[in-house]
Amino acid sequence: MTPPRLEHPFGQLIDRDAPVTFEFEGETVQGYEGDNVASALIGQGRWLISRSFKYHRPRGPLSLAGHDANTLIQTPTAANRLAEDLPALEQGAVSGQNYWGSLKTDYYAVLDRLGRFMPVGFYYRAFFKPRGVWRFWEKVIRNAAGLGVANLEVAPRYTDKQYLFCDVAIIGAGPAGLNAALTAAAGGAEVLLIDEQVRLGGALTYHRFTLEDDIRAQTLEALSNAVANHDKIRVLTDATCNAWFSDHYLPVFQGDRLYKVRATTCVLATGSSEQPVVFRNNDLPGVILCSALERLLMHHGVCPGGSAVILAGNDNAYLTAITATEAGLPIAAVVDLRPAPDDPTLIAALNERSIALYPNATVYEAHSDKSGLQLGAVTIHSIKSQGHVDAPILRVECQLLAMSAGYMPAYQLACHGGAKLAYHDDKSEFTLTQLPAGMLIAGSVNSVHNFNAVCADGRNAGRGALRALSLQTDSDETVYCEDKVNHPWPIFKHPKGREFVDFDEDLQIKDIINSARLGYRDIQLVKRYSTVGMGPSQGRHSALTTARLIANATERTVTETGVTTARPPVKPESLGVLAGRRFHPIRKTPMDERHRSLGAHMIPAGSWRRPAFYGEPQNRAACIAAEAQAVRTGVGMIDVSTLGGIELRGPDAAEFMNRVYTYGFLKQPVGKTRYAVLTNEQGVIIDDGVAARLADDHFYVTATTTGAAQVYSEMLRWNAQWRLDLDIAQVTSAFSAINVAGPFSRDVLEQAGCDIDLSAQGFPYLACREGLVAGIPARLMRVGFVGELGFELHVPSLLAQSLWDRLMSAGEPFNIKPFGVEAQRLLRLEKGHIIIGQDTDGMSHPGEIGLTWAINRKKPFFVGRRSVDILMSQPLKRQLVGFTLSPAAPKPEEGHLVLRDGDIVGTVTSCEYSPTLDKIIGLAYVHPADTQPGSQVTIRTAQGVCVQAPIATLPFYDPDTTRQQL
Amino acid sequence: MKIMHCPLNGPRNISEFAYGGQVEVMPDPHQCSDKDWASYVFYEKNAIGVVKEWWQHSPSSYWFIAERHNASDDILRTYDPSELFSERVDFTTGENEP
Amino acid sequence: MTTGLVSPKRCADSHGDRHNDGLKLHDLSLATRSGVRGVKASEWLIAQSLHQELKTHELQPPELQPNTLVELPGSRLLMALSTREFWLLEPETEAQASPIPSGHCAPGVWPLYNQNSHAWLVLSGEPRAEMMAKLCGVDLRIEAFPVGTVAQTQMALASVVIAHHLWRDEAVFSLFVDQSLADFAWEALQDAMEEFNSVQ
Repeated sequence: MTPPRLEHPFGQLIDRDAPVTFEFEGETVQGYEGDNVASALIGQGRWLISRSFKYHRPRGPLSLAGHDANTLIQTPTAANRLAEDLPALEQGAVSGQNYWGSLKTDYYAVLDRLGRFMPVGFYYRAFFKPRGVWRFWEKVIRNAAGLGVANLEVAPRYTDKQYLFCDVAIIGAGPAGLNAALTAAAGGAEVLLIDEQVRLGGALTYHRFTLEDDIRAQTLEALSNAVANHDKIRVLTDATCNAWFSDHYLPVFQGDRLYKVRATTCVLATGSSEQPVVFRNNDLPGVILCSALERLLMHHGVCPGGSAVILAGNDNAYLTAITATEAGLPIAAVVDLRPAPDDPTLIAALNERSIALYPNATVYEAHSDKSGLQLGAVTIHSIKSQGHVDAPILRVECQLLAMSAGYMPAYQLACHGGAKLAYHDDKSEFTLTQLPAGMLIAGSVNSVHNFNAVCADGRNAGRGALRALSLQTDSDETVYCEDKVNHPWPIFKHPKGREFVDFDEDLQIKDIINSARLGYRDIQLVKRYSTVGMGPSQGRHSALTTARLIANATERTVTETGVTTARPPVKPESLGVLAGRRFHPIRKTPMDERHRSLGAHMIPAGSWRRPAFYGEPQNRAACIAAEAQAVRTGVGMIDVSTLGGIELRGPDAAEFMNRVYTYGFLKQPVGKTRYAVLTNEQGVIIDDGVAARLADDHFYVTATTTGAAQVYSEMLRWNAQWRLDLDIAQVTSAFSAINVAGPFSRDVLEQAGCDIDLSAQGFPYLACREGLVAGIPARLMRVGFVGELGFELHVPSLLAQSLWDRLMSAGEPFNIKPFGVEAQRLLRLEKGHIIIGQDTDGMSHPGEIGLTWAINRKKPFFVGRRSVDILMSQPLKRQLVGFTLSPAAPKPEEGHLVLRDGDIVGTVTSCEYSPTLDKIIGLAYVHPADTQPGSQVTIRTAQGVCVQAPIATLPFYDPDTTRQQL
Repeated sequence: MKIMHCPLNGPRNISEFAYGGQVEVMPDPHQCSDKDWASYVFYEKNAIGVVKEWWQHSPSSYWFIAERHNASDDILRTYDPSELFSERVDFTTGENEP
Repeated sequence: MTTGLVSPKRCADSHGDRHNDGLKLHDLSLATRSGVRGVKASEWLIAQSLHQELKTHELQPPELQPNTLVELPGSRLLMALSTREFWLLEPETEAQASPIPSGHCAPGVWPLYNQNSHAWLVLSGEPRAEMMAKLCGVDLRIEAFPVGTVAQTQMALASVVIAHHLWRDEAVFSLFVDQSLADFAWEALQDAMEEFNSVQ
């Protein structure tokens, strides 16, 4: 049987013809489409939804606006979802959280009785003594701590992000936001209207602003129709704007998408949070805010059973009582904290409806029913003085208590932008000041509460937005609002405590006051010590009370005390949505497909992917050895397209080279290459490459795979200052390169067809040429990185795959073998060639790594020259050298320490087993006194095993360097 | 996210830009003391006020100068480096000519 | 023998031949493009036959502002990336395996290697700006980014040059990305396009 609901005009959001069913704590719950989990539960008389964080007290909804942590529940796929934010539709089995046993019988509830032994700061202060006791307690506490369970089996959802651009972003579609949107759109602005609710209207959808509820429905219909039909207004409902970032950049969460809204100006019409009254047991399920009761009635048509008491700190609560009466909910009493309502006609209205009024009184204590899980009665006392009461007037049986102590502006977004909160004693409320440029606020967030004033304030904000956009608009309306909606002191300390200030963190009045007594006067310190405001509601219901309590306890004004800094996000957000699609730009060379079809094992190299070796990972060592062997004795080829390429063209190209690189380049002959080392202004080596002079005014320079972008960028910056006459071009991607290396490399090129004289005389070592290889235009360089006869071929990228194919077939008679990065690293290590970034670090200067020969100190300048001079005039602290070990020795790894008399003097930077030499070879930084061949250094390898390694002469292989010069 | 106005590409998200440090005048590397050189290389004044900074628009590799207040983070002006560096710079000391 | 030119875009088109009113992505990497850069590049361009052609068609010489492009006769486009860098795009001309340019075109005018450095993808279809908003932080809606404008920006964290122009009587976005990122860009675009192309 479907649960009964109120007839129209109640239950605006539900579809009475579409019942839905879900499970809560193993029991079937019925509701209607449009219900959320919380409203459906209350519709069946069920208030208990979760257990509190610290004392495991029973909790039910407070705000029904997604603004408190009382309704955190577990769904099959996610933990910590708010019951009122979860549509009842499409829910599987949901359950409460934070209990041991069952939600109704939580064994941890004993903590509630032990509460006095667990004062605030308890965790910080306990468990430290005696030493080691934490190890026992940790297990107990960790078992009890934490909310909900993460389901690791859930397949990730497809989440993504999208930019949205608009002139005006309006957050909040209540009466102020709707008016602002219409005014701005009428003035020609493009408007984006964002609201958390599924329907436009904000408070208009549930709150009667006047005794005769005639304006509300009409205004709602008129405004929302006008907005929906306006082609300059785009509406995002069921969407949360979770932050304000610089220049009106607003993250808006809607379902599985995060909109990154960029607005020129924005209007915050975010409303305000209704405030609870602080009295004993104010957290019992059934104690709710007035607005929550209005939402239940107006949105969901749920009329809670039993009778209700209204606790009023303002006139709005009277209106709630009237609405509830119309819904048929018996009101046992209206208890007013004030001597009388501001609007005297409200008294008559209560009388007409035979509702008892208790002015100048408060609910001092709430009592649970027999189950202990729900409200059963309240005790009403008259107020003697601020926060103090006289003897009880009466005890009233009731199942519901709706309260309103006032409002706190929804200040979060404004404060993200640097706005401040100031407290006005005459109205007992915080108001926002010092808004950032281009931000406007309207409605109750602007401390305007009267209906007509709210609408006018919204229109004024629309006008303000138009002015910010330099669009025409008429002059502002006068906004006049004298309504006092905040009670100055709705706080009633009880000798037995349990008057909750912060429901999320189970903090009572004494916890806040004790923080001040212990010396934490600053509100920020009070928060960190007591954890007030740290929970999911982020101080929405606790900040105002805390500020008042601390101001009182420290004898300061509330403005001086203030509230803690509001930081994004406004509401908890899903990390999946925050991550969106994961973009990892991976660069591929034109030969990528060829490598895969050859079975290459690909590894990342910077943003590139490169073949480590060709073959199965389990045969790694054998594959690398075979590839290295092919280069040493036959011929191999490697894709070196990832090398950076930079072109310097123009009359000043040589001059520029001379200033940027350490070596001399003015006299470099055309058709020759030179090793080019780059130091930064600190004298540290940051990159190296080969500079080929293709013409007097034309250099083609390579850079390391990972350094290329930075080198290019720095070159541009230097020339922005020097103004030399040249063009600097990043050509890394324009050219792709293959290095053909090995004794038969010349034969392969000849076989492929080449219009260049490849002989040792015609094309000697370190020369460069341009011509056709296998019919493909190419730049050729004779380089010796791997220490064999070799040609590096640089070709236009669109032709690179064809070149690869043609070389592979031309190399077939010579058993050409493609080789990967691993073999290349081994081969270069055998030659003692360093890799910048691997064999150097952020401190390496040329003197430390034996590159003094590459420094030209006769030229007037190069970047880093002065620093290199200073560094080289000082005694060396370490030096990079080669070492060897027998193949049977424990093999040092990169990063292992070099020790000297027990002190760390350096590290191993490269180390491999060389099959060619049948030795372990490596490079390491050692003490300058230990650099002579034959000296021994101590290397601490894995598990602390030390080995003595003799220093070797570099290169390890082909010491006379004859092979690469063939 | 902050917007920066690129002199070449117009207003863009700050994530499209890379910071390049303050604009510093290089002392004469041949004449200055080690201390002056070290100060140029390693130190920034870090005083509150308007600073001149190098910024690069990454997608276009374009370098420009921004004048920014380092307390308010307001970017007051951005312009092409040629406004500051209009003359060709040469390094000659009269000695050790190559 | 074929030209030997191979597009950097290798991955399959996940939409295949599906016909719809949504978006379509084309690979024009093997169409012709060239360019010049340098302090005299603008003057040089005007001095070239381009100028003559424009005159013949009674058009004004291109007074190109940075980040704009103009249509030239013969389905060609001239795009300015700065006051000194210009790209000539020929979407209807197949690229040839030409020699690597050597030397300058004129003093202070240097040829670019953009035929090889960048892949050329073309995005057509009505919701192209809305789809690109999933990948790019620049407002590409027609009001903010009319035909004839160019944006040098980022798409899915990769640098891109986006040009808005007419191609085969339709307004399209040309997307120039580093050729090594062609597959990445293609896949990111296809994924972002999915929701616009779903067959109802």
